[in-house]
Amino acid sequence: MLRRVNLAGWSFVLLVTVLVEAGVRLFDLHDSVAAPSATFRALAEGLSSGALPGELGTTLEAYGEGLALAVACGVALGIAIGSSRTLLDATSVVIEFLRPIPAVALIPLAILFLGLDTPMRRVVVAFGAVWPILVNTSYGVRGVDRFLHDVARTSGVTPIGRLVRVTLPAALPSIATGIRVGASLGLLICVTAEFVTGTGGIGAYMHQQQNAFQIPELYAAVVLIGMLGYLINTGLRATESRVVFWVGEERLADR
Amino acid sequence: MAASVARVGRPLLGVAVFLAALAVWEAWARSKGSILVPPASSVVETAWEVWPTTDFLTGVGASLRRLAAGFAIGAGVGIGLGLVMGSSTRARRALEPLVEFCRAMPAIAIVPAAIVLLGLGDAMQITVIAFGLCFPVLVNTLAGVRAVSPEVRDTAAMLQVGALERIFRIYLPGALPSIVAGLRVAVSLGLVAVVISEFVGEGEGLGRYIRLQQTEFDVPAMYCGILFLGLLGYVLNRLFLVGERRVLSWHYGSVGEGVGR
Repeated sequence: MLRRVNLAGWSFVLLVTVLVEAGVRLFDLHDSVAAPSATFRALAEGLSSGALPGELGTTLEAYGEGLALAVACGVALGIAIGSSRTLLDATSVVIEFLRPIPAVALIPLAILFLGLDTPMRRVVVAFGAVWPILVNTSYGVRGVDRFLHDVARTSGVTPIGRLVRVTLPAALPSIATGIRVGASLGLLICVTAEFVTGTGGIGAYMHQQQNAFQIPELYAAVVLIGMLGYLINTGLRATESRVVFWVGEERLADR
Repeated sequence: MAASVARVGRPLLGVAVFLAALAVWEAWARSKGSILVPPASSVVETAWEVWPTTDFLTGVGASLRRLAAGFAIGAGVGIGLGLVMGSSTRARRALEPLVEFCRAMPAIAIVPAAIVLLGLGDAMQITVIAFGLCFPVLVNTLAGVRAVSPEVRDTAAMLQVGALERIFRIYLPGALPSIVAGLRVAVSLGLVAVVISEFVGEGEGLGRYIRLQQTEFDVPAMYCGILFLGLLGYVLNRLFLVGERRVLSWHYGSVGEGVGR
């Protein structure tokens, strides 16, 4: 799929950048806003000195492990809950009780349990990301056409075979949506935990720069997180449209 | 989604499992005697004492006020930009890269910059909340406007309906179901942003309360704060669903035929 470069869009980005740059210089706002030129210089320096990649690695480690945990638990539980009416009824109240708790609110609790480092972040990310994945998976599994199931059963496909060849493919678009939502929520939680504890990762780096009033370095970290979020989002979207290629573009457009 | 999981055919089973889980927690906590896992009963007791106090309720009120302000601003900007981007291809193409970038940015990323600019008070916190919840509203508004059927668009063009009238009489009502869905997501995201902004900012609030109990090591009180947040999220979501059904009753009666689809 070839897409033309969005000229208008990138000109607008450029325009905003130039305006901010001019504004900062004209009104001498260097104390409160970093000029884009200074930001990009700081970004380049941070990247080449290895400071930013190191912090990014710390972030990605806890984030990746937490998200993997959330995907594993969310998909497994979602399939179980989605395919059994009894299990759905049995777990409904517990899930409705736990799910609305904003995962960031658990950071203080998790600090008491697991300390300030990667294990704590991993668990909080997993707790936050698991709900959209679980709910979307069970939703997708329940939406599978009963007819397909019956055909597979009468054709002698084993329960495992039915799971792998009927349920999973049919629920995949919904699972993918859940993972995408969980992934962006997980990033938010991970960086927040780092920011609050200040023990490492890009969030802690931001906090240090903020306290030291290193405004360009701070903005460089913000841009980097934005790029990370963008890459994760577009990466998952691209994988999604490749794996669940039979779902139309417009469904992928919804968040 | 929440509604479908919550659609309990045999609600008693769910309640029984929930009570059983509480009982297991209680027994486990009592046998272990760890300070980090207070028995369920002592959490409930603490909640009974703490929740009705003026201190706690003032905090809740402050959180809700900031959530309301952030919601009004974030939703306003989201719907406004969504309508503009939905009704004009040129505007959409111009704004798309910037919006896509900002949308992928976790709300926490703007916190330090907002602190430097606006300080630790309400202005910073409300900004963070508004930023955190604006994008799902924008994306849903845009999707809703773009889903307005081509026939309706063409008819409006043929009748030479003006741009403003087109936005307010066609796109806005057509996109309303989608917008409302976005607003509901925004409420829970807003609550997350409330907690984040209170962790880092100053002033009372639920997030502040939880953080304070952590540093003072009052574990049951911390559980109380977390539970209250969960309860608040649940109640807000429910209220929204009820309101949604009321506001969109015309839509549910006409799915398939309506302007929106």
